Amino acid sequence: MTIQREQLEADVLIVGAGPAGLGCALHLANLITKHNASGAKPELSPENIYVLEKGREMGAHQLSGAILDPRGLRELVPDFEKTAPLDTPVTNDGVYFLSKSRAWKLPITPPPLANHGNYIVSLNKIVKWLGGLVEKEGVNLFTKFAGKKLIYEGHGVAGVLTEDKGVDKNGKPKENFTPGYELRAKVTVLSEGTHGSLTKEMVNRLKLDGLNPQVFGIGVKELWEARPGRIEPGFVAHTMGWPLGSDMYGGGWVYGMRDNRVSLGSVVALEYANPEFDPHEAFQKFKTHPFVRRILEGGTLVRYGAKTLPYGGWYSMPRSYVDGALIIGDSASMLNAQRLKGIHTAIKSGMLAAETILEALKAGDTSAKTLKLYKEKIDQSYIKEELWKVRNFHQAFHGGLWKGMVHAALQYISGGRGLVDPMRSEAGYKDYAKRNGNGALVDQSTRFKGDGKLTFDRLTDVFHSGTRHEEDQPSHLKVRDLDICSSRCVEEYGNPCQYFCPAAVYEMVKEGDGSKLKINAANCVHCKTCDIADPYQIIDWTVPEGGGGPSYDGM
Amino acid sequence: MKLLVIAEQRQGKWNNTSFETLVAAQQIAAATSGTVSAAVVGKSVAALAEELATKDVAEVLLVEHDLLESYTPDGYCTGLKQVIEAATPDLVLFPHTYQVRDFAPALAAMLGKGMVGDCVGFRNEGGKLVFVRQMFQGKTVADVTFMGAAPWFASFQSGAFRADLLTAHRSGKAPVNAAKVELKAADIRTKPLEMFKEAKSAVDLTQAPVIVAIGRGIKARENIVQAEALAKAMGGEIAATRPICDEGWLPLERQIGSSGQTVAPKLYLALGISGAIQHVVGMKGSRTIVAVNKDQHAPIFEIADYGIVADIFEVMPALTAELQKTKG
Repeated sequence: MTIQREQLEADVLIVGAGPAGLGCALHLANLITKHNASGAKPELSPENIYVLEKGREMGAHQLSGAILDPRGLRELVPDFEKTAPLDTPVTNDGVYFLSKSRAWKLPITPPPLANHGNYIVSLNKIVKWLGGLVEKEGVNLFTKFAGKKLIYEGHGVAGVLTEDKGVDKNGKPKENFTPGYELRAKVTVLSEGTHGSLTKEMVNRLKLDGLNPQVFGIGVKELWEARPGRIEPGFVAHTMGWPLGSDMYGGGWVYGMRDNRVSLGSVVALEYANPEFDPHEAFQKFKTHPFVRRILEGGTLVRYGAKTLPYGGWYSMPRSYVDGALIIGDSASMLNAQRLKGIHTAIKSGMLAAETILEALKAGDTSAKTLKLYKEKIDQSYIKEELWKVRNFHQAFHGGLWKGMVHAALQYISGGRGLVDPMRSEAGYKDYAKRNGNGALVDQSTRFKGDGKLTFDRLTDVFHSGTRHEEDQPSHLKVRDLDICSSRCVEEYGNPCQYFCPAAVYEMVKEGDGSKLKINAANCVHCKTCDIADPYQIIDWTVPEGGGGPSYDGM
Repeated sequence: MKLLVIAEQRQGKWNNTSFETLVAAQQIAAATSGTVSAAVVGKSVAALAEELATKDVAEVLLVEHDLLESYTPDGYCTGLKQVIEAATPDLVLFPHTYQVRDFAPALAAMLGKGMVGDCVGFRNEGGKLVFVRQMFQGKTVADVTFMGAAPWFASFQSGAFRADLLTAHRSGKAPVNAAKVELKAADIRTKPLEMFKEAKSAVDLTQAPVIVAIGRGIKARENIVQAEALAKAMGGEIAATRPICDEGWLPLERQIGSSGQTVAPKLYLALGISGAIQHVVGMKGSRTIVAVNKDQHAPIFEIADYGIVADIFEVMPALTAELQKTKG
């Protein structure tokens, strides 16, 4: 079927309305207003900036702890403290080591984890607020529209096709079928966040890989309303140790927010050996530790979510500029894995992209030659200053927690160089230990169930993520070879997708004497873990019909 | 400016969006000091033409032909092309109906013209006609105008103009003139069959007093007949949890839960349903809930009024048989 698509032209098309994308849009709109006021030519307009967001509303897919280093936001919105929904300043800051039943506070908080001057925020609320500012400048924001495909032209990118709406399970158009738009832009900005589907394809296709492949963690989070007095607003705890073994990289967090709200979660690097490890279950166990339990007991679960985060840092950055396109934020590996912070660098990278784009529009040249300026700006900014110092940080922990601590300490005193520089890394899925034919069909009823009060099974948690998808649409999770799932993967790894997915999307069901993969795509919380952690790399996470996915209100 | 509105009828009944489009035409004519004609296409539709003639139009074209009795894209395109070439309108307007979506772009293309579809308004900007259409599901609107020579083609969205603003003919009636069209059966590649109405899905679970719902415990598609037999014996409707409908074992409209229907029958019999919260939110308002499940720890028992810890494959036939016995 050939589809007639509506064509629209913009100066700048931003894919993804997170801190990076909105930072770029807002800064560019401001720069354009100044540019026009100065009487300089050509006259530009913020109305020619388009932002696509696949979520139902602004902020719907934003998930983070979050502790905000306000540096980026202060540059973007100098008086942000007056209007931004900052929840509470950090007042009490500590790092804890957990054993099964005890918690030890480290005598000093390691400087990278010191958070005075930072704010505990809901990234969902911050992004909603930023979206309002962006819209006020006349930028066109389109929620419920996803970037489905890049339009490649020459050596670069000429725009994006949005997803077709109203397609049924079998790929046939329904009564409400609306073909996606063909959005052409002088500059396309990929700000899809962690492991963006367009970014992934572009990096592969145009061979933009950095020195190291990207490595990821998965964060699982719940928002609670605790009984009054259980936790102070501004209380920040980061934990190491239980329930994770010292061979795993990760930890937990508990933050006290206003109105007795508690943000808590755990993050685990997706580079562990046991293919049956279940990040959701590990987080549920974390809540049963006395240190956490005493805060939550008697409280109620408000919301749930999960999302991956890119740990790779400087050496995993893809080349971030091509003809007609830039990559910013998490998609461009801007996160600081040592400080566990990426909102400020995301915003900053968006602003630097905006400055670059203004120059390119003024010059009438949006080829890589002009857009290269973005990379130069990154190199001169505090993004590089910060990330360069921790360029080997995450890699150092590949040999386990204790070795990692030694490496990290040496890196800390040598400006990031440490013993080996650059330290190389491999994609995390290569770390699974093979099961040598032990794979057996797991009876789902033996999986972690939770007590329904403090701990929950995955489906109950998914319910609390507010996830909704149009049911009658093709699965947006594409598995290229289902035979591998029911044959090789059963034998070799015992189908880790059943375990790593924090939303119970993947399930092996009996078929005849064997088993087959069943995909419950409607449960998907858009965390991207499957695309990252599948050992055969045959799962492609693609965008579902716009508006589908979680609803991370207050997260 | 000469405007021509192609009104839509089927089996002698108007599609009422036609009148809204006629209002749009009258307003454009008023803004551009133009004239409006209307055309009705079909076989034996003179009465409809007479009805159109009572509206404020300059002329009604009666486009009749045996081969236009039923709608075919070829028949309409070939016929209307001749009408437009003879009448030489500047602007041809259609109601944006399914039928118009089917043939109007092809008709415009046959004449080498463009078409602006699904408009919601217009503006006259110093003699230049600008059409307004929605994009991104109504999040933004685009102004579109024609380049090149007339005739131009546009269609208006249902509800964009108010049919009750249609003005009547000032002196009583406009002339009705037959427009000659030549059609050969060979021109028409589609063969219309009997009209039929899609059987409406009869099930309205929200009205059912008794619902028998199945979950994963049903295990296989072929086992559903057992639950259906029980539902029949109880005088209830069959329903299911998401996984069952997801497999395609039952249609989506029988899905109960957060992504399906919310129901509150007098009696809800849950067979082999574990009681995931996604399902429970769709049925917890039921007056009496009876749950059958092998697993005594299944959360469904927390909300059930009566629980049977048993294999549904023992319970279903036994209950069915017993109910049939009492009914005699």
